[in-house]
Amino acid sequence: MAGGDSPAETKKGSSKTSKNSKESTLKQKSPAEFFAENKNIAGFDNPGKSLYTTVRELVENALDSSESISELPEVEVTIEEIGKSKFNSMIGLIDRERVDTKLYDDYETDKAREKRLVKEARASEIQAKNLASGKKNKEPGVSRVLKARGEASYYKVTCRDNGKGMPHDDIPNMFGRVLSGTKYGLKQTRGKFGLGAKMALIWSKMSTGLPIEISSSMKSQNYVTFCRLDIDIHRNIPHIHLHEKKANKEKWHGAEIQVVIEGNWTTYRSKILHYMRQMAVITPYAQFLFRFISETPEKNVTVKFTRRTDVMPPIPIETKHHPSSVDLLLIKRLVTDTSKKTLLQFLQNEFVNINKNLAARLIGEMGPDFSPGMAVKSVTSQQMVRIHQLFRQAKFDDPSGDCLSPAGEYNLRLGIIKELHPDMVATHSGSAQVFEGHPFIVEAGVSVGGRDVKQASHILLLFIHLIEFLDLENKSDLLDVIPSGINIFRFANRIPLLFEQGGDVVTRTALKRINWNSYKINQTQDKIGVFVSIVSTKIPFKGTGKEYIGDDISEIATAVKSAIQQCCIQLKSKIVKRLQAREQQERKRSLSRYIPDATGAVYEVLKQMTEEHTKKRKRYKEEETAMLEKVSKLIITKETLKEKLAEHVEQVDYEMALEYATQSGVSEEPRENIYLQQLNPNHSNFIDLHSPTFVFRLIL
Amino acid sequence: MADKKKPKRTKEDKDEDLPFKSILESDEAILKLLKSYISSSLTAAGSSGASSSSSSKPLTLADLSLSSSCREVADLSLSSVQTEIETVIVQIARSILAGDGFSFSVPSRAASNQLYVPELDRIVLKDKSTLRPFASVSSVRKTTITTRILALIHQLCLRNIHVTKRDLFYTDVKLFQDQTQSDAVLDDVSCMLGCTRSSLNVIAAEKGVVVGRLIFSDNGDMIDCTKMGMGGKAIPPNIDRVGDMQSDAMFILLVEKDAAYIRLAEDRFYNRFPCIIVTAKGQPDVATRLFLRKMKMELKLPVLALVDSDPYGLKILSVYGCGSKNMSYDSANLTTPDIKWLGIRPSDLDKYKIPEQCRLPMTEQDIKTGKDMLEEDFVKKNPGWVEELNLMVKTKQKAEIQALSSFGFQYLSEVYLPLKLQQQDWL
Repeated sequence: MAGGDSPAETKKGSSKTSKNSKESTLKQKSPAEFFAENKNIAGFDNPGKSLYTTVRELVENALDSSESISELPEVEVTIEEIGKSKFNSMIGLIDRERVDTKLYDDYETDKAREKRLVKEARASEIQAKNLASGKKNKEPGVSRVLKARGEASYYKVTCRDNGKGMPHDDIPNMFGRVLSGTKYGLKQTRGKFGLGAKMALIWSKMSTGLPIEISSSMKSQNYVTFCRLDIDIHRNIPHIHLHEKKANKEKWHGAEIQVVIEGNWTTYRSKILHYMRQMAVITPYAQFLFRFISETPEKNVTVKFTRRTDVMPPIPIETKHHPSSVDLLLIKRLVTDTSKKTLLQFLQNEFVNINKNLAARLIGEMGPDFSPGMAVKSVTSQQMVRIHQLFRQAKFDDPSGDCLSPAGEYNLRLGIIKELHPDMVATHSGSAQVFEGHPFIVEAGVSVGGRDVKQASHILLLFIHLIEFLDLENKSDLLDVIPSGINIFRFANRIPLLFEQGGDVVTRTALKRINWNSYKINQTQDKIGVFVSIVSTKIPFKGTGKEYIGDDISEIATAVKSAIQQCCIQLKSKIVKRLQAREQQERKRSLSRYIPDATGAVYEVLKQMTEEHTKKRKRYKEEETAMLEKVSKLIITKETLKEKLAEHVEQVDYEMALEYATQSGVSEEPRENIYLQQLNPNHSNFIDLHSPTFVFRLIL
Repeated sequence: MADKKKPKRTKEDKDEDLPFKSILESDEAILKLLKSYISSSLTAAGSSGASSSSSSKPLTLADLSLSSSCREVADLSLSSVQTEIETVIVQIARSILAGDGFSFSVPSRAASNQLYVPELDRIVLKDKSTLRPFASVSSVRKTTITTRILALIHQLCLRNIHVTKRDLFYTDVKLFQDQTQSDAVLDDVSCMLGCTRSSLNVIAAEKGVVVGRLIFSDNGDMIDCTKMGMGGKAIPPNIDRVGDMQSDAMFILLVEKDAAYIRLAEDRFYNRFPCIIVTAKGQPDVATRLFLRKMKMELKLPVLALVDSDPYGLKILSVYGCGSKNMSYDSANLTTPDIKWLGIRPSDLDKYKIPEQCRLPMTEQDIKTGKDMLEEDFVKKNPGWVEELNLMVKTKQKAEIQALSSFGFQYLSEVYLPLKLQQQDWL
């Protein structure tokens, strides 16, 4: 699959094939087959990325599920490394020793070994030399052994949530059939393609052949569904191994999905961890537990992202299409799907911002072939083109942002503080704007300083890594991101974007269009974090992987710039205050620094004058001679000048400090609310100390 | 030799059809025209300026009774500079010893403290001063640098030597950090002491060059500028060494850019039309401005300027004419009155049919500068300039002198300038 194909095209293509497969007798590809062959569109380019995408699809599904029942999300992700022998035993294959070593790709011929040994010997010689001469050598002399082609690594990925769960009977179809749900209407959604776990299942089928395991329970159910299934890729139907009900002892509701796939933890470790961390930034009301279990225990990773708030953004509301955003195909679909009878009702009810009056006016404008009462199903393809034309030309009110669910300044701010502990943070939430009939909201946060904010060198490594991976055309664009101390965190519909940073509107804006200096922020020295979250009913992604938002949409670029600037303005006043305070502290030092230079210059001239005077080369006025005589008698020396000036500086410093204190008073930073985790009410292991006025409870 | 070559070449050129070549009269005719112009302008100046030039001195601030509210510096002798510095230093020392720290009162050179005086046709400095106390974080650096520069100049006075600005900077790189800082303070110091920068014995590196019909003495050596090769003679940084100017030129040609200067110098334009060609290669330095003024005053020749047709060309013209804001305290010595704008003028673009591809669109910044210039007094006083600048801002096109090269590299010296002279087309 060529990388240049736009996702929109391929998507369209796929829906067509799904339709046609039912009708025609020609051999058609099933949607599952289509995605299996074009897995890079969905983010399954290589084993490493597949592992990453699997994790994110599962996590995003889990969050959606919990939020849909207004439950504070609790998500547990476990990646378990499975060695080759363990994997073989899982699929019932016996480990075999290599007998015919020459058969394998990594077989080393005698000649090659000789060459390698010579090379290694030379390397160790150089190393020894370097050691002797005290030079630091960067790399140990061990030659890297390339991993053989067949040497794949396997991982068991498990994701457990406290969400809605799934109805017992629907589970097989929900996982085992690609493009099974029909989405109607328009909504801000997390998922990239709505493929979710299905793609992970296809990938597991392709790489390991092992089935997916699903446990699920809904709130009202007293049992847990357990289902083990895989997918018949050619027929696009689920293949059920086991589908049963088990007892629900813990009164748990939610879903747990387990899938075994080929992956690559080593190369995508940092990506996955970044993803989890950024997810925690944008969803501080969720609790994440991430675990990586390795075969070698020292490589294990456990990260817990605790909940910091119980304020959840509202669930995005489903909305109708805005007339200016629809295309011909969509009009056709809406006409087929509508339950309305007449054209007037159709216009009025299937779109936002068209009331009865406007609908009538529009129909009048369409021409004599149209009438308000005409049956909408009788509209011909030609007439649809007319409707489409009019929709593009006519003026409509902008759609409102009510249907969107931005993270909210509060959550964004909390997330940043919680995960990065910056010295300073400012957030701003812009008002809803419109691009091509889709409303969008841009929120931004800018932080300065903080823990773990990568410094330039770290970014460098990361980016070189990235560039190698993606083999992008615009490498140079990526590379000019590297030298600055700006760390960019991008979110689209409340999921982090980690790839293809170089061309993104946020990156470009932050690096090229913000004059950081004017906000007293030092782009090279300060650790700057720029967080931009864009939510919309349709994010205008660019590129195949839906990993970045293009820089060519001026509406979005302007909104991003203004949001970042608003944050910077807030920060500036804080920074200026700090600078003033620092100036207070450092005034004496910075003044004293110049005392020797100034007094030295004065004394130098005085000494010259004294010389002139004693040699009677020049006549001076009386007051001057008095001073010059003191200089010659060493009553006035460099030291006396220094002392006197230092005294003066001290006095001025004292006065100014006093003035500053009276002027600024005792000012305090506004306080942040702290969030205390709710205690488990079932937990009753308390000791109460009673007194007449209060109860003191020790929690054990 | 060059004289002999020239006519030959022009004969060959007649075969080519350079635009406007046909209108061009013979060199002799043009020279005749020029001569009559110069003699008439000289007599006109003599008759109209008779009353003021009877004292043979142009107007000064004192004549306008502005000296109380304006500040001007004068050339001071080394010993008086020394005395001035010593007075300041003794004052400082006394103040320090009294426990009061010290501060300088430095004349402000900000734009708000500048005044254009139409009678003098130059910018002068008003009398506002700023206090530069040592015991303030914002001014401690500058105050220290000022003290240091004072001490250094005191040394120069004692030893009676000249140093360059660069030398000065290198005496204490750690303190000055950056040459612009020591340069700025140097201007402050000359302003504070009330003397010209040349009186401080600090000079800038040579920048300007001169070539053509001029003979002068530089530190005692006689220099003939027709025999200085193609590059010409570098304008000496200290004008006090220069004297005994003699010339048979008919005018001084002021060129903005090096490229055009080299063209004219190589073509020995000054032999065809006796003239002196000067350039400062961009923004003029103090030495070039002083030199031009000296030539104008001593030789009484008209000055014709050849600059780019953009706002910056006019700006450079204005610096020669009525001074820069940075050095306005010394504008009396630095400005050359009555410079004529010969070209390239915005109206020339169409008049000489300069092809579209050689014109450049003006940037936002250019247009803004152009509009700002229209508000400047030195432009307003000359209605012809206002018209030209209006045309530039309206057409939003600019062109460099080199745009003329589209008709051949020598079009400038062969056709454009002779034609301009023939038509006496200057403003």
